[in-house]
Amino acid sequence: MITLTHPAAVTYLGLPGYVFAWLIFVSGLSIFSYIIYRRYLLIRSGKPDPRFSDTGKRVLDLIVYGFIQKRQPRYLWAGLIHIMIFWGFVVLGLRSIDLVSQGLSLPFLRPLTQTGFGPFYDTFKDIFELIVLGACLWAILRRALVKHERYEGSHTFEAYFVLCLISFLMITDMFYEGSMLLLNKSQETFLPASRLAALVLSDSSPRLLTGTHIWSYWLHLITFFFFLNFLPLGKHFHIITALPNVFLRKPDKGAIKPAQWGVEDIDELETLGVEKFEDFTWKHILDFYTCTECGRCSDNCPAHITGRPLSPKMLTLKLRDHGYHKVPVFGSADREGAKEDEKDDALPMIGGLISRDEIWSCTTCGACEEECPVFIEYIDKIIDMRRHLIETAQNPKTFNQVLMHFEKTGNPFGKPATKRADWVKELEDTDVRVLKEGDEVDVLYFVDSYGSYDPAAQAIAAAIVKGLNSAGIDFGILGPLEKDSGHQVRRMGEEGLFQLLVEENMETLSSVRFKSIITTDPHALNTLKKDYPGDFEVFHYTQFFQSLVETGQLRPAKSPDTDDIYTYHDPCYLGRHNGIYNEPRQLLGSIPGLKLVEMERSRDRSFCCGGGDIVLWHEIEQEEIRMASMRIQMAKEAGANVIVTACPFCFIHFEDAIKTDGLENDLRVVDLMKLFVSTLA
Amino acid sequence: MNIVVCVKRVPLTQEVDLEIDGTGKDVKKDALAYVVNDWDNYAIEEAVLLQEKFGGTATAITIGTEDDEEVLRRALAVGADRAIRIDPGDLELDGFVISKLLAGVIKDLEYDLVLTGVQADDDNCGMVGIMLAEHLGLSHAAVVTGVEPEGDEATIKVELEGGMDEVSKIPFPALLSIQTGINEPRYVSIMGIRKAGKKELKVLEVADLNLTEDDLTPRTVVEEVFLPPETEGAEIIEGDASTVAEEIIRILTEKGVMV
Amino acid sequence: MGDIFVVVEHRKGEVRDITYEMLFKAGQLCREYSHNLTAVILAGHDESFLDDIAPKADRGIVYEDESLKHFNGDLYRDILKGLIEEHRPFLTLAGHTSWGMDLGPALSAKTGYPLATDCVDILVENDRPVVIRQIFSGKVFSRVSFKESEGYLVSVRPGSFLPEDIEARKGEVIKNELPADLPVPRKNFVEFVDTAAGDVDISQADLLVSIGRGIGDEDNIEELKNLANTMGGTLSCSRPIVDKNWLPKYHQVGTSGKSVKPKVYLAFGISGAFQHVAGITAAGTVIAVNKDKKAPIFRVADYGVVDDLFNVVNALKEKLNA
Ligand SMILES: Cc1cc2nc3c(=O)[nH]c(=O)nc-3n(C[C@H](O)[C@H](O)[C@H](O)COP(=O)(O)OP(=O)(O)OC[C@H]3O[C@@H](n4cnc5c(N)ncnc54)[C@H](O)[C@@H]3O)c2cc1C
Ligand SMILES: Cc1cc2nc3c(=O)[nH]c(=O)nc-3n(C[C@H](O)[C@H](O)[C@H](O)COP(=O)(O)OP(=O)(O)OC[C@H]3O[C@@H](n4cnc5c(N)ncnc54)[C@H](O)[C@@H]3O)c2cc1C
Ligand code: SF4
Ligand code: SF4
Repeated sequence: MITLTHPAAVTYLGLPGYVFAWLIFVSGLSIFSYIIYRRYLLIRSGKPDPRFSDTGKRVLDLIVYGFIQKRQPRYLWAGLIHIMIFWGFVVLGLRSIDLVSQGLSLPFLRPLTQTGFGPFYDTFKDIFELIVLGACLWAILRRALVKHERYEGSHTFEAYFVLCLISFLMITDMFYEGSMLLLNKSQETFLPASRLAALVLSDSSPRLLTGTHIWSYWLHLITFFFFLNFLPLGKHFHIITALPNVFLRKPDKGAIKPAQWGVEDIDELETLGVEKFEDFTWKHILDFYTCTECGRCSDNCPAHITGRPLSPKMLTLKLRDHGYHKVPVFGSADREGAKEDEKDDALPMIGGLISRDEIWSCTTCGACEEECPVFIEYIDKIIDMRRHLIETAQNPKTFNQVLMHFEKTGNPFGKPATKRADWVKELEDTDVRVLKEGDEVDVLYFVDSYGSYDPAAQAIAAAIVKGLNSAGIDFGILGPLEKDSGHQVRRMGEEGLFQLLVEENMETLSSVRFKSIITTDPHALNTLKKDYPGDFEVFHYTQFFQSLVETGQLRPAKSPDTDDIYTYHDPCYLGRHNGIYNEPRQLLGSIPGLKLVEMERSRDRSFCCGGGDIVLWHEIEQEEIRMASMRIQMAKEAGANVIVTACPFCFIHFEDAIKTDGLENDLRVVDLMKLFVSTLA
Repeated sequence: MNIVVCVKRVPLTQEVDLEIDGTGKDVKKDALAYVVNDWDNYAIEEAVLLQEKFGGTATAITIGTEDDEEVLRRALAVGADRAIRIDPGDLELDGFVISKLLAGVIKDLEYDLVLTGVQADDDNCGMVGIMLAEHLGLSHAAVVTGVEPEGDEATIKVELEGGMDEVSKIPFPALLSIQTGINEPRYVSIMGIRKAGKKELKVLEVADLNLTEDDLTPRTVVEEVFLPPETEGAEIIEGDASTVAEEIIRILTEKGVMV
Repeated sequence: MGDIFVVVEHRKGEVRDITYEMLFKAGQLCREYSHNLTAVILAGHDESFLDDIAPKADRGIVYEDESLKHFNGDLYRDILKGLIEEHRPFLTLAGHTSWGMDLGPALSAKTGYPLATDCVDILVENDRPVVIRQIFSGKVFSRVSFKESEGYLVSVRPGSFLPEDIEARKGEVIKNELPADLPVPRKNFVEFVDTAAGDVDISQADLLVSIGRGIGDEDNIEELKNLANTMGGTLSCSRPIVDKNWLPKYHQVGTSGKSVKPKVYLAFGISGAFQHVAGITAAGTVIAVNKDKKAPIFRVADYGVVDDLFNVVNALKEKLNA
């Protein structure tokens, strides 16, 4: 038996190995600190963004989404591989620290490794080494054999390279330990990975074994520090930033960030929105660092799927590279920054690098954010870029009139405010109270512009008031006092106008007394709840009527008379943005004899109908197929012949798509409220 | 190039069922929303485009009350440098008086070009611009859909009926009444309008303008306004295809759209 | 008893319809109030239409000069001013056309005669003219009178008076020399450019022939395009036509297309969906042809035809080609 000297204790070129270990350690860490400092500089240039409230919830999210990686298995195999590698990193991190500390002759982990934990950990890490190695091989094969469309534009070479680096780290440790096992036959612990290496080395001479032992160690050390420094240069920065990014996630879906955090009155700002990279918030810059290029966002993005020029992943990658150009790792930030600014003149970030139609393509459906395993935000960034487009008059010309109408008449159609309650006049035998200042009701029904003026949405509003009357609810509408909720205006990027509408509506809302608000439209629900300063109880009609059914105040008695098969489409602003998935289904379930099937894409994977804002006034020409067209196909595939919606825009889009695609004989669309009211006794 | 642009605030009436007010001489205006006269949007945009290209200043002028200053602030937000409002007090106004008031102000300004809209959306007179040009002794053209300055003259396009443009040359200083479609007016955001509130806005009284009694006397008087007979939905044209076709041709000719 | 002047409008050697319309209306007024009808012709040498116009008036006062071949604001204004000051006509009519919009206000400013523009009817009350105008894009009519004056100027909206037949009058022809003190014109004609053939801008068209899914087949587009051309209109459409790539996007009317404001909107096979009709709220007159008498478009149309659109299209073609 040979007494095994630790590789760091061996003398090389007349110097003890510790010197080299310290050299590697110090240079590795310094370069790393410098790179991180450069990345930090860029983050620091961003705008404020308060992300430290509600720490308890954040820690919980960190555990659930960061450590347990709850979102990963939404893509089953890729998710499992990732979880394995992630946990391998957690477990093997300790091992690497131990190896480094040995080299530095600072064995501060020894007290731990010399307890009973030592052998246990050794077995544990060995198992994980095999798991990680397997996962890496699997990942390499998956990428090589199946070309997933969602990886298009991602850095494939880097992905392979890093998988190889990780594997190499595993292998060097295996051989380090494996050679030791052979040389030092006294080890009894179960070490499957090391045994595997030992098997490979079994016929080797002691000399070769010693060499393997020594060089595996050094290679491991060098690779480890190389890897550390390689991370912040590419997409694997997420290994460092992902956990913080999850911890710092946006707490409230659906809400839009203010023009600038910490600024109450937008008049204090010089400009609105994002024009330059530094106009993003620091957290949004951290988002750019964190993207794993997994492509799940784009894979679920209806804009991307229908051929619009937007891919959320590519948006992030382009902006990340742009940011890295501005503050490169090597070279002076200021000088480089200035140069970049000059280049900016030729190709502005907004309108050049990111095209206008890319920015207008988004329906703010939230599918990307729902999917992203590391909680990268898109909607706020896109709205911020739109704000810049609006302020600099780079909007589609069709918006001019629409926005002017919003401002002047409180609705997008330019219809007189005085006619806002005219739809009520056309209802037979239905009473609707139009509130005046000082009035009091239990339920304030916020109809919003489409419900008030668009014939298709008016019919939904009519069903709602009919239902309210049937249940004997004391309710009223605001009529001419009501202005558009501003949901669309804000998402079009016209923040000033949105503030104006909010101001006017807030004044009205505080001039009447009510217990709760219900809305026709999930968008209005979302905006009143999340974008308004008031603290109202706001319900969507599906929630409200579901509670009436639950308390027995209303009971559907008639079954739908044919043997139709129904499917329910989750509107983005009801489902993903507000988590209302069950109430509509329960409401449907309360209708006797109604047959409901689910589409493959349902609940939080629902597919946007086309949206309730930009698309109404600006169509993206590259679009190959309408979202609504795709969606009705999904309904057909699910075997349904009736699509139920709970949003006027979904209804309008589907009705149009059914007509345009000539599917009138196969499909029809009905609003949940109209269906529900028709089944009341 | 220094440019003066005249703008008017008009009610938005496209979707409104107008009613006649108590005097019988005007429509009820209290519930109406007010906007920049559409033609003037194009005139402002053209002024600012020219100013951006050739330098100089753009001045927006309106005749109206304090509420009407909104159109000036919009013009300032688009890019005009300063604005003037002439307060007419309780003066009776018609196209002639308006043009005299405008001339009273503009004659003391430095300008190469005066732009007005072809007509205002409410009264649809289409006379203020050219009358103003005559008061100021300027060369002029109406219904202009293109302006290209070169040196001390401009090549302009005038839109004629029936899909034809007339191209001519006109020396500066000149007045052009601008037709919609000459450009694509930009959107000005609420924020932009508020910011523009910091630019200069001067208010003048009629008394400041040195006008005679005759200048301030309207040439025309609205005796009454009335609504056309109401039609409920479409009037169905009956008869065989040939009768129908004849009737359609008659309507097209009556409306003056067939060449 | 006085004169009624009609300023003859012509372009490229042809008299414009507005001239006959004014002659017709002026003729009626002359008969009723015993005025004389004078046609004032400013034209190039030997224009072929001189013989056509003179007999439709009591006299034709003609100025012939190459500088008058095309409308020229400076020259027209000064010649007419001189003529008006010489004859002091009770009423002078000009078209409310692009040229008339340049001439009328200038003449009013120069002569001091009050002007009413864009009139759709002319009456005489207490020896003074009273006119009917349309305001707010035709939603309201107004009756306008003038401040007392020696003479009055009225510009007439094209299409307001349809000449059934214009009675023959004396047709005396007076050729005047150009006044000696004419200014050198400042604005100078260069050329005419045909815009109808160029880019399609449906938002500027006066007549839109608009087609919807009712036309059925792509092959029918050409036929409708021809019809639009014959009528001097522009072709527009509803969204499904663009969806099917039958016409490019810039033809689309509606919320996600263009808002249009033609004087006449002639809709063939369009159902009148809300998103579509939101684009035609500023249209003057809407005529809809649809075989379904319940189609919502009839709620916003001024005139409706319940028939197969091709019956109507063919009949229109026959009439127009006749
Ligand atoms: C009985 C009566 C009462 C009236 N009362 C009022 C009144 O209370 N308040 C009032 O403002 N007008 C009043 N008017 C005037 C009328 O509304 C029109 O302003 C006037 O007849 C000019 O016609 P128009 O607006 O159609 O101008 P057009 O000749 O059609 O306008 C062409 C262009 O002239 C310019 N222009 C027109 N008006 C203005 C303006 N006000 N300021 C700056 N530029 C302008 C714009 O560039 C416009 O595009 C009254 C007229 C009458 C006959
Ligand atoms: C967000 C959104 C935006 C939209 N934006 C627009 C827009 O900007 N512009 C737009 O136009 N649409 C728009 N739409 C589509 C709109 O909702 C309608 O689907 C569309 O306008 C219908 O077009 P249509 O009238 O040609 O077709 P249809 O509704 O199918 O109508 C065809 C009509 O032709 C009649 N017809 C059929 N054959 C004949 C015949 N031989 N003779 C006479 N009549 C016949 C039928 O009776 C029917 O009324 C939008 C939809 C959505 C959801
Ligand atoms: S919000 Fe929806 S449309 Fe917008 S980028 Fe995300 S997935 Fe795409
Ligand atoms: S943004 Fe999120 S979902 Fe999209 S590629 Fe990056 S990590 Fe994946």
